[in-house]
Amino acid sequence: MEMRRAKVWALMGLLLFSWVCDVACLSLTVNSVECVYEYVLYEGDTVSGNFVVVDHDIFWGSDHPGIDFVVTSPAGNVVQTLKGTSGDKFDFKAPGIGMYKFCFHNPSSAVETVSFYIHVGHIPNEHDLAKDEHLDPINVKIAELREALESVTAEQKYLKARDTRHRHTNESTRKRVIGYTVGEYILLGLASTLQVIYIRRLFSKSVAYNRV
Amino acid sequence: MARALIAGARTVFFSLFLLLCLTCNNNLVPVAEAIWLTIPGSGTRCVSEEIQTNVVVLTDYYVIDENNPEHIPTISARVTSPFGNNLHHNENVSHGQFAFTTSETGNYQACFWLDSSHQHGGASLTLGLDWKIGIAAQDWESVAKKEKIEGVQLVLRRLEGVVEAIHGNLIHLKNREAEMREVSERTNARVAWFSIMSLGVCIVVSVLQLWHLQRFFQKKKLI
Repeated sequence: MEMRRAKVWALMGLLLFSWVCDVACLSLTVNSVECVYEYVLYEGDTVSGNFVVVDHDIFWGSDHPGIDFVVTSPAGNVVQTLKGTSGDKFDFKAPGIGMYKFCFHNPSSAVETVSFYIHVGHIPNEHDLAKDEHLDPINVKIAELREALESVTAEQKYLKARDTRHRHTNESTRKRVIGYTVGEYILLGLASTLQVIYIRRLFSKSVAYNRV
Repeated sequence: MARALIAGARTVFFSLFLLLCLTCNNNLVPVAEAIWLTIPGSGTRCVSEEIQTNVVVLTDYYVIDENNPEHIPTISARVTSPFGNNLHHNENVSHGQFAFTTSETGNYQACFWLDSSHQHGGASLTLGLDWKIGIAAQDWESVAKKEKIEGVQLVLRRLEGVVEAIHGNLIHLKNREAEMREVSERTNARVAWFSIMSLGVCIVVSVLQLWHLQRFFQKKKLI
């Protein structure tokens, strides 16, 4: 009985521990290539996540090439590629155990800030159930529930990152409106003053005698 | 508090050991909770996150060097609050941790750089970073002890915490969207006003020009 209780505790500890397999919504500045590594413990785990380019400081047009996102498995194969995007979600089933590499490639020379979130989720399947008789089917259901809640949290983090990017755009628009309008008024006043001065000079005495 | 943290850490490490024995067999010590970053040979690597007030932040960082485990390179770390206050500063360490509760909403940044003694050849380092905020940073061991729950009940209690965190996040997102909507609408009104005003400024300036030139020519007896 004592042994069983200890085993249940250890198993619960395992379950609790295999819970936190994700990273908070971090922002990273990408110069040309930046890579983040995350470890996957079980084969067949669902690796999901999202990333948003937050500090997108383009001046003239929206023809920015975007950034590329490449996921490499520990065996060296490319698991997922997303090209020329300013933010996207991704998820895939991990083909093997090991260290996965998540790389952001920035083709332009401007430094971009990328906010990303990666989550590795494990749901015990029938194979694990059969291997260990202390693992109840309820653990599978709890794991599924946990993963569903994690996906909601991931969506929220994606929304938050997109909202931050939208905020930057709004702030930039506000500053541009005020800056360019005030500059426009000043330039208008300056141009008309210069016009008047020029016309006055045309009709001034010293010039007039020689020309008019 | 520290004792609960140590007890919690011990349980986590025990579970990690169990997990390691069951699943992996490589010479590294992977920590499933953390991500790995590369610190360049020269310059700093900074990660940041926008965090609200009253959120617990718990972070562990450690240098990973497979080549020479006896002589681990050391790094320095600094964490700054949105207003520039220095929350944590550490020099010449190969691992460290910090924990704080945020007192203002904004961008919290953690920067790491190689020590000057190790900056030779521009070789980059791998740093493991375990950054937990909010509900992920909660010490469930102490909650289990305080409320005397265990097993499935504790797991479900954790899920309840996650649901509350989701609810709080949604409210926060809603407030931010409301602020942004106000800025958008103000900018919209300003664009309309400033365009009409620029037309008015144009007309006023041209009338002034004409009036001034008329006076000038009358003075010069040309009209």
